[in-house]
Amino acid sequence: MVLDPAHGGTDPGARGTGGIRESEIVLDFAVQVRRALELQGFQVVQTRQGNENPSFDDRSATANAQRGAVFVTLHISSTGLPGTARVYVNSDLPPVGNASGLIPWDRAQAPFLGLSKAFGDLVQGFLAQRFKGSPDTSQSASVRQLRTTAAPAIAVEISSVTVEGRADLDRMAPGVADAIARGAAAFKPSYIVPSAPGALP
Amino acid sequence: MTPSWKSWLIGGLVVAVFGAAIYFPILRRRVKRAARLQQQSEEQARRELTQPIAINPGDPRVKTKVFWVSDAIDSTLAPVTVELPLSNDPVLRSKQVLNTLLAGPVDAELRTLPPDASLLAFYLLPDGTAIADFSEALATSIPSGIVSEQLAVNSITRTLEANVPQVQRLKILIHGQEVETLAGHLDLTGTFVVNTKVAQEPGKPTPTASSTDKPALPAAAEKTPTPVLATLTADEAPGKLGQTESRP
Repeated sequence: MVLDPAHGGTDPGARGTGGIRESEIVLDFAVQVRRALELQGFQVVQTRQGNENPSFDDRSATANAQRGAVFVTLHISSTGLPGTARVYVNSDLPPVGNASGLIPWDRAQAPFLGLSKAFGDLVQGFLAQRFKGSPDTSQSASVRQLRTTAAPAIAVEISSVTVEGRADLDRMAPGVADAIARGAAAFKPSYIVPSAPGALP
Repeated sequence: MTPSWKSWLIGGLVVAVFGAAIYFPILRRRVKRAARLQQQSEEQARRELTQPIAINPGDPRVKTKVFWVSDAIDSTLAPVTVELPLSNDPVLRSKQVLNTLLAGPVDAELRTLPPDASLLAFYLLPDGTAIADFSEALATSIPSGIVSEQLAVNSITRTLEANVPQVQRLKILIHGQEVETLAGHLDLTGTFVVNTKVAQEPGKPTPTASSTDKPALPAAAEKTPTPVLATLTADEAPGKLGQTESRP
């Protein structure tokens, strides 16, 4: 499992009126998600451990260098109903030709869209049970981070930095971690790892 | 200095301090108001400079569907019908509907685009690909997040889809430049599919549109010149990222 706490460094991401910074909260969320995944027996790699800001491609490269990885990027939104969580998978991408056996870097997600959707729906289902008002199924969006990731990949976005205090978001972290871990465990049997490694840069 | 002078001096100072304490907040309010008025007039001047597309009262008034947020919490889009005199020229028409979208609804909470953003330029290529160039405020003032950025782009593509059938795909530029994302999340390197209704090419069947809740085109829109032929697949829905350009 590759966990991506979004933003970091000079990019704080979404900012709330009470000084809440998306980049800091997702890093704390990642710690709890990592623990929940490890309890399920998954090996976990993070795209950043501290307040760095790797590029989109660097983050994708972390996942693309693993064989049979599953990628989750964590976000906190600026809007939306506070206390809810949404899972996004990448919008449809033009299919890639496989004559060379290589996957174009800029459309690396294309062959994995079906798997991403299956994984996303599982995680969204568990999130909907925990956080009322969340959608029942994952949604599609042109998320830049997902496009270059050659693995089943989802974005999990929590609403939102507009909550009164950081504690409101912190209370959601165990539920989010549990939903991702249970989703990953449920998805694992259906994920047949391709024989070739991920996209080549 | 005699004692009476001292008391006069102290009294004068006390009066001055009290006067200053009363006057200072008034002065601060006046300075703030002046700054706000200057900002407003700058904004007005900028809008006049960057939005030279005036509505021609001679153009037929048509029911125009503009997509704003239906509910500030739920974050879904809904069409609002407004009657506007729209040009039959697709470029002018696109500028008119996008400027209406940018102007925002009556309830400011339901707007999808930042109030200080403006449309700098709009081009339409013969293959139906449109290029909309927005001011930097579109990227810098929009609330960061997947949901808010997607709402912004969807409101643009769906407003164009409902009113300008010639626009098949849309490329969004910020201040004349291609940018990687709108505000850190939504991918702007490709083109967005706007209109899934592909024009009838001679000898080719028209694919069925995948979207079931497609808004009907206004009568005047149907009278506009025949859309340029496009090569779209039937399974592309409005607002999805279309074909990505070749990248290094």
